[in-house]
Amino acid sequence: MAAVLVHIDLDGDQPNASSMQALTAGRAVASSWGATLYAAVIMHDAEHRSDAAPARIGPRVPGDPKTIEAIRSPLARGGADKIVVALTDAPIVPLWSALGTAWQGVLDRLRPRLVVFGADAPSATELGPRTGARIGARLFLRARATGTEEIELRDRDGSYVRMSDSGAAVVLVGAAPRPEIHGDDDIDVMVLVLHGGADPRIELVSTAPAELVHTTGTIIAIGDDAASDPEIAQATQRLARVLGAHVVGSACAASAGVVASGAVLEPGAPLAPELCVSIGLPPIDLAGSTSLVRIGTAGGKGVDGALTGPVAANLGELARLLEDR
Amino acid sequence: MTARDTKLVVAVWLGNAPPVRSIRWLDGALKAAATFDGATAVAAGEQTWLDLAADRATRLGLACVGVPTDLSLDYLGWAQVMAGVARHLAATTILVDEASRPERLAEVAALAELTDAAQLTHVVALAPDAATIHASRAAGTTLQTVRIHGPAVIGVRIAGPPIDEYPTPTPSASMRRLDLVAIGLDPAVLGHRALPPRASQPARRSVDRVADHLVVHIPPRKGA
Repeated sequence: MAAVLVHIDLDGDQPNASSMQALTAGRAVASSWGATLYAAVIMHDAEHRSDAAPARIGPRVPGDPKTIEAIRSPLARGGADKIVVALTDAPIVPLWSALGTAWQGVLDRLRPRLVVFGADAPSATELGPRTGARIGARLFLRARATGTEEIELRDRDGSYVRMSDSGAAVVLVGAAPRPEIHGDDDIDVMVLVLHGGADPRIELVSTAPAELVHTTGTIIAIGDDAASDPEIAQATQRLARVLGAHVVGSACAASAGVVASGAVLEPGAPLAPELCVSIGLPPIDLAGSTSLVRIGTAGGKGVDGALTGPVAANLGELARLLEDR
Repeated sequence: MTARDTKLVVAVWLGNAPPVRSIRWLDGALKAAATFDGATAVAAGEQTWLDLAADRATRLGLACVGVPTDLSLDYLGWAQVMAGVARHLAATTILVDEASRPERLAEVAALAELTDAAQLTHVVALAPDAATIHASRAAGTTLQTVRIHGPAVIGVRIAGPPIDEYPTPTPSASMRRLDLVAIGLDPAVLGHRALPPRASQPARRSVDRVADHLVVHIPPRKGA
């Protein structure tokens, strides 16, 4: 029977929300394909310690029975058929150099046909593409499960993974159907002890809060004229809430109240987020955005979406549609 | 001799196509590479793109290599091309311009896999220090400070200076051209990583279609 493998990041001792979204999508696919759904978690083995990184770096999610038991229930209710716990002596930080050896052990053991990550899970950008490269798989970024009888995973460009495809695929899931609660908590947990440590070529020295200019997530950039319109400002905040986005703009936009004081950027500041929604004419360089949507202007080179017409009405309707998803 | 004593030989992979919107991030990647002695810029693809890549690299004093090809490949295919050039140049460290085109992120991982190098994505600043590289990496809401020892593939998202207009590049005499065979690749075999031709997506113009585009960015709801 084919294996569908979902990588689960942990927030403390609980599964990351984006990973759970991936599990939901994985459940839909596995049920449709007649595959077994594995949820795999990498945990630190407290009995061993890597010399590759100082102890102060990174959370050490303990791989003790209590923690394993704590994740069993949410993963079972999320639809996993089996849970794989990979124990590593490396620190648990979202880097291939730290987690790669353990993750490779899971891949070797299960030889999955489909590997799924939550697109917003901390490890996804480092582990997802590398997993694809290692198993020679097709790679899909920001895909979602679609279909009724046969479920497929489809990305924004229209590329898809179907049961009838040959070869393996790695998918970073950006949206999932609403989860169904599965009743059986009593599922198998397979524990793999996969020592081998972190890659000493990457030495994590410290971590600190990132500046907004370095954000890789979602931002909404608002122009000064748009920010001064209370209706637009209100609709912008609503859209920001539904997208989990920071609203950035100039000091002028901040004085209008729509941009928080910590989110003021210098004119021409370059940003490279994964998604930027640009409202009006923000004085910020958004060319590095992976995906760019403009509202209130006609678009331009490399723009994925552009809404002209009444800005506040378009923003409100957009937020409403997204809230209903 | 340990990895820490090895001299860095640096190449910067600019990819197979010009930036989607601006050459600012291309210039930033080249500028980051120029902080290393003797770095080489590498591009592949069609001639007009190779001319642009050579022009921008030459302005910063970098040597450049081009692999002319009309193949359309996936991330593993282009990584094979760059890995072939890296072997040819004996490069130990490969920088990748991650911000100019979205598909380049996956090529960081594929290159690291093919060259058996360490991997680091989302690097926003880096500085060489003898055989060590100090890097800052954006990871969600945190900034990680990292030291890199030995062979590595580093995805950089570092902006160059603002630029609105730039002169149309002319065919470059300084670019060294390597064909696929010269870097040990058989075009017929590489063709197995070809992507089917796909029409470019026009911008979505209705609220419904934009919402459909954005839906994969909605963060999971609490308790979902």
